[in-house]
Amino acid sequence: MRGAALTTASFVLTAAVVGHAYYQKKQFYPSVVYITKSNPSMAVLYIQAFVFVILMGKLVKKVFFGQLRASEMEHLIERSWYAVTETCLAFTVFRDDFSPKFVAMFTLLLFLKCFHWLAEDRVDYMERSPVISVLFHLRVLTLLLFLGTLDSLWVNFAYHSTLTKGATVQLVFGFEYAILFTIICSVLLKYVLHTIDLQSENPWENKAVYMLYTDLIMGFIKVFLYTAFVAIMIKIHTFPLFAIRPMYLTMRSFKKAVNDIIMSRRAIRNMNTLYPDATPEELASMDNVCIICREDMNTACKKLPCNHIFHTSCLRSWFQRQQTCPTCRMDVLRASVRQIQQPPAQQPQQPQQPQANNMPQPGQAMPPFPGYPFGSHPFSREQDSPMLPLEVLLLHQGSRNLPLLEVTSNSPRHRLLKSHRQRHLLLSTSKSFNFSSRDYDRAIYNYHRCTAGCTRYSTKCNAWDAWNASHATIYDASSFSNDATIWFTQVTHLA
Amino acid sequence: MFRNHLARETDSPYQGGVFSLNINFPTDYPFKPPKVSFTTKIYHPNINTNGSICLDILRAQWSPALTISKVLLSICSLLTDPNPDDPLVPEIARIYKTDRARYNKLALEWTRKYAAGDGGN
Repeated sequence: MRGAALTTASFVLTAAVVGHAYYQKKQFYPSVVYITKSNPSMAVLYIQAFVFVILMGKLVKKVFFGQLRASEMEHLIERSWYAVTETCLAFTVFRDDFSPKFVAMFTLLLFLKCFHWLAEDRVDYMERSPVISVLFHLRVLTLLLFLGTLDSLWVNFAYHSTLTKGATVQLVFGFEYAILFTIICSVLLKYVLHTIDLQSENPWENKAVYMLYTDLIMGFIKVFLYTAFVAIMIKIHTFPLFAIRPMYLTMRSFKKAVNDIIMSRRAIRNMNTLYPDATPEELASMDNVCIICREDMNTACKKLPCNHIFHTSCLRSWFQRQQTCPTCRMDVLRASVRQIQQPPAQQPQQPQQPQANNMPQPGQAMPPFPGYPFGSHPFSREQDSPMLPLEVLLLHQGSRNLPLLEVTSNSPRHRLLKSHRQRHLLLSTSKSFNFSSRDYDRAIYNYHRCTAGCTRYSTKCNAWDAWNASHATIYDASSFSNDATIWFTQVTHLA
Repeated sequence: MFRNHLARETDSPYQGGVFSLNINFPTDYPFKPPKVSFTTKIYHPNINTNGSICLDILRAQWSPALTISKVLLSICSLLTDPNPDDPLVPEIARIYKTDRARYNKLALEWTRKYAAGDGGN
């Protein structure tokens, strides 16, 4: 509504300015001269041009995108601000060439950039949208063709201009459009991958690998372009301050792409060579449902160093994305190193039976630890921080492998945190659980839930923070009330 | 795409509110997290006006072992226990940290206004 009013106002102003000039001079040419000589008139015309650009943008958006989604809009606004800032920085570098034509070219660049970002977001959206219509394909393809053509034309123009006139501001445009062209290429590749994935009946297992390589190659080209650009700019002009942020981001994402590929390849190789196949006995001893795909495990299953078993194909798909155990988040790459150093027989196995027998059964009251409070408590050597009563119940969720414990406090200040210092591990496997001091330092607790009124523990204890690094979200256990409930959603080993 | 309703029955300003959520499953679910967003407006430091939720398990900490019920459980717990140290809406986080009574009042107002029993989607 406000936009429409502003647009109308600018049109009225322009009409007034032009009408006034024509009324004064009566002829076309003198009125043009009159307008260009008058600063207020030119200001009005510039505003009008700006309004035209926005209207044009809206039109193109309507044609190629229809309604924008909230997240796309959010992305666009966020990136536009950065781009505008960088454009202003670029103006300062090229202040000698400053002219309306120059501003217009930068505006056009910004305008086209916006559509590149939108195309990127739109194609990413393909991955999670339930139905992709023919219109969607048509829009994406024509948009990519349109943007790709414009980019290559600009690159070509800048190249020839640099050859004939020497290094001018066209160099910047050449590089900017070359970068945009790589974006178009990667969007196109991703579009093709998503389309193939959508066409196939079964999930396409290797898609993630192709996506990783697409990112790698495009990242490499971008890093190359940016480095070349900065080098040339330093040589012929000055340091291009405006290119620093995008260059840093590009390098970071390239590094991440390289890292991702190396890690996923290593994890998959480890899986194929190091990890044993699960034996039928092992499969029988647990409910043999693969927690990833929720289907029965009969053949082709692998056992990770943390004793969790999955389908080999499911694990491969997961390792293409992350290299942790899906159940306990153990970092498999670090664990493999440990496994080589230590004979597997010495690995802590399932909870030891005697200890597990001393554990309270679900629903049973105190005591939680064998020999509580201090006597034969396995970790009572740290007398300064005695364990206070804890009742630990194991919750059975649909998937029994996920260590999901419910801890109910019997004491208003049971000082759960002290238990950390006492080196306890709440390790849950299947139906029983085990406290072992040895594994404590490898554990990451992620306390996901507690009752209202708890404050975050991290604000109170730096030592725990440091230990905890960035992984877990910790609540202040000292403020739990009697019936407080904490949910431990993850208990993870660190290698 | 799923629509889901969360009914809260605990001691929090969101008590009794019915919040609907959109759950979008990517094609490579469960290897990628589902996209979960609130469609009901909610006053919360980790949920913005678009309904985007700032929750680690919906991003980097996703695991294919997680299920929708566990995700919803985590969202419930995020409602009872916001994380003002990693806010999506810094202004709400600031109020949460400095003036808890005002936060509770505003959150309750929003819950009554937008998430009252029968409405909400």
